[in-house]
Amino acid sequence: MSSIIGVVAPRLLGPALILAAAIIVKGYADVGDGFSAGVIVATALALRYVSLGWELAERSLPVLRRAPQVATAGLLIALATGFAGPLVGDPPFTHYPRAGESVIHIGTLELITAVVFDLGLFLFVTAAFVVLIHHLARLAQGGPR
Amino acid sequence: MSHPTPLAWLAVVIAALAFGACLLLAMSGGGRVDIPWIPSLGIRFELEFDGLAAMYALLATGIGVAVFTYGAGYLPIHLHHAHRPRDDDRRFWPWMLLFMAAMVVLACAQDLIVLFVAFDLTAVASYFLIGFDRERRDARGAAMMALLVTVTTAVLMLIGAVLLSVEHGTSSIPTLIDVAEAGPVTTLATLLIAVAALAKSAQVPLHFWLPRAMEAPTPVSAYLHSAAMVAAGVLVIGRIHPLLALEPMVLDGLLVIGVCSIVIGGLLSLAQDELKQVLAYSTVSQYGYVVVLYGLGGPVAAGAAAFYVIAHAIAKSALFMTAGTVILATDETRLSRLGGLVRPMPLLAAASGAAAMALAALPLTIGFFKDELFFAAATERGPLTGIVAVLAAALTLAYIGRFWLRLFAGPLGIEPHAVPRLLVVPILVLGVLGIAGGIVVEPFARLAEAAASVTYGAPVAIHPAYHLDTRPENLMALAAWLVGAIILVAAPIRQPIVTRVAVLGGRLGPRRWYGALLQGLSRLSDAIHGEEVRDLRRSVAAVLVPTGVLIGIGFLATPSAWDYRIGDIGREDLPVVVLLGLGVGAALTVTRDPGRLRPVLALSVLGFALAAVYAVMAAPDVALVAVLVEAVYTLVFVAVFAVLPLSQRAAASAAHTARRRRDLAAGVIAGIGAFITIWAALSREPSQRGDALELIRLTPQAHGSDVVTVILADFRGLDTMVEITVLAVAVVGATSLLRRGRSW
Repeated sequence: MSSIIGVVAPRLLGPALILAAAIIVKGYADVGDGFSAGVIVATALALRYVSLGWELAERSLPVLRRAPQVATAGLLIALATGFAGPLVGDPPFTHYPRAGESVIHIGTLELITAVVFDLGLFLFVTAAFVVLIHHLARLAQGGPR
Repeated sequence: MSHPTPLAWLAVVIAALAFGACLLLAMSGGGRVDIPWIPSLGIRFELEFDGLAAMYALLATGIGVAVFTYGAGYLPIHLHHAHRPRDDDRRFWPWMLLFMAAMVVLACAQDLIVLFVAFDLTAVASYFLIGFDRERRDARGAAMMALLVTVTTAVLMLIGAVLLSVEHGTSSIPTLIDVAEAGPVTTLATLLIAVAALAKSAQVPLHFWLPRAMEAPTPVSAYLHSAAMVAAGVLVIGRIHPLLALEPMVLDGLLVIGVCSIVIGGLLSLAQDELKQVLAYSTVSQYGYVVVLYGLGGPVAAGAAAFYVIAHAIAKSALFMTAGTVILATDETRLSRLGGLVRPMPLLAAASGAAAMALAALPLTIGFFKDELFFAAATERGPLTGIVAVLAAALTLAYIGRFWLRLFAGPLGIEPHAVPRLLVVPILVLGVLGIAGGIVVEPFARLAEAAASVTYGAPVAIHPAYHLDTRPENLMALAAWLVGAIILVAAPIRQPIVTRVAVLGGRLGPRRWYGALLQGLSRLSDAIHGEEVRDLRRSVAAVLVPTGVLIGIGFLATPSAWDYRIGDIGREDLPVVVLLGLGVGAALTVTRDPGRLRPVLALSVLGFALAAVYAVMAAPDVALVAVLVEAVYTLVFVAVFAVLPLSQRAAASAAHTARRRRDLAAGVIAGIGAFITIWAALSREPSQRGDALELIRLTPQAHGSDVVTVILADFRGLDTMVEITVLAVAVVGATSLLRRGRSW
């Protein structure tokens, strides 16, 4: 059992990231959003923590140590897109470009504020879960020896 | 060591600028801010710098300048004594400034809701200021007590405000004063607001937080507990006085509470030995005067009340600062150990002497006029209030006389060490102001007149002056000095009496009720919590049992709940049937298998099967979430099993068998309940409410084709924002609990 996880977990992160990206990009046309994408990536990361232990997991992927900053950034991105409206006199969470206006397309991805909000959501959810897993794992397995 | 920090000077400069701005506004005839705040409820952010606002704003900023200057010198020494770093004053000055700003907004507020918000802001700032020495348990308890007493009563104020705005359709105070008529709802509402105001002004029986709040650093006491926080209460009464005056009984109630506060505060002040305690109880008593004056009603009393607040604020803040300077210079807080400080500290003795004379209403001080006006208002009502007024003034003279004489006269108690000049100069300024007000009273009288006109609702004129004749006010003043001097001199008779009063108060007083109430609540909460977390089964039951009961009540209350249908099963339903069959098989495995890993895997099979059902039944978003949840659960189980020791079979005891039977019964009941509920839900046509259809219609306009995503990220973006904020708070809370707040 644990050997299966040991083999699968390290190889799961790449596909998980691609899946998450697909979910965010296709989010508006198909199932999925930033929250789901965040949970998928966080699950893949959690599997790494389970199989490698927190020290090795973080040493092999140093970007994990930036999780608190990433979570803050995600929250700030979401806040900024949500409350850009009131700054120019619109209600909060006004959607730019407005309904009916033309939108820049990159493939199926449409550049609208809601997608940016979704991206902030993704960053925050992923990083917040990593922070929680990190603390729980340290508590369960003890500090650096 | 004793040099003020730049932050302290910044605070002083801000206070001085604010004072200057208030002065300019007051001289230019005020100003107005009126912008819609919550238009759907008709609440406006309405501020007006009228007479009442001018008086309290000038007091808050003016006394603020003096106290902040004092604090700039005081705080470094205070922190040094407590072995804390100098820059810990960044936990101090922002709150002082916030407090000052909240007081100014409170003074100008013309809307009950704005009033409430500013009122609570002062309470929040006071919590952090009183609890500034947070390493001391007493300071934390005192801060919590002040917060609980003033904030729980402030909720009454909010209820009163809501009642008034529902009854009269507006929360704007000037409009309310125009339209409100006497009636039970209005009376109840004004009573609730009055209770909040009285608690804030530390009136009996809710006075006990104030003496306890003396745990605060002295600048806090000198500011909050003389001119600002306690003044907020009488400010509110002065602001809504025309509403209170609609019902004479309310005013009579104020009168009674004021008299009780004067007497109890005065007697207890005489009984105290700690410097700041003497002053704290004196504040209770002094604000009792103001409440009595508001209870008397009428133009004379309104003018007297406003003037009283000015005179008291100047004198009392100077006396609090005196106490602080003496405590720093001698490291002693008890009157009985101190004495004879007039020779080593002549300047301080003179400055605080002037302040004490002002509070005791001696001639050639601003205080003389406060009592002259007080006597005039009291005799207008009748001889009884006149006698009470004289006794009150006598008590004041006695406790302030005792305070000053014990400190400065007699043989030297403890040799003081030198103190920085900043700890004396502000007291000197306020002392000089107290004397100046006794010679040129005109500016203060005009300020009080303007404030009283707002309180009374019509122009008020007061004429404080010296008259060398036998008018009642002069005779009453003479009588008060005489009686006060007798009480002061007759210490052997006085002290046993007031000590007994203090002991009785400690035994029966409201502070005891407060403690009992708090302990009772804590015990109740502990008991409930203890029941809930005794074992895992109870923690689960604590959530599931109330849910089940609520669902049952919902069924009983819904008339169409008993409509159960068995639909047809067609060919296209085959995948669902197969998946559900898989789910049933997995569920049976979970209950029958004695192993550890297999039940977990069976559970996840069950979960994935249900996720697949969602996917088939056109709810792909739910399916996605279900898959994620199942994956996480399975991971958690596997991770936990990796840590758990190998299982040991429990011996099959009688208790074990009984528990298994109970579990079986609970499981069967829960299963039947869930079955009935889901069947009932599926028997109904899904309701097509207009809201949902509208959202589906709008989805293409929002550049989307998946309704759920568009709702989450766009239509209900604010909800999502709030949800992730809650998640952020939860993560911060969990990390503080798990790792003491380390973010990584």
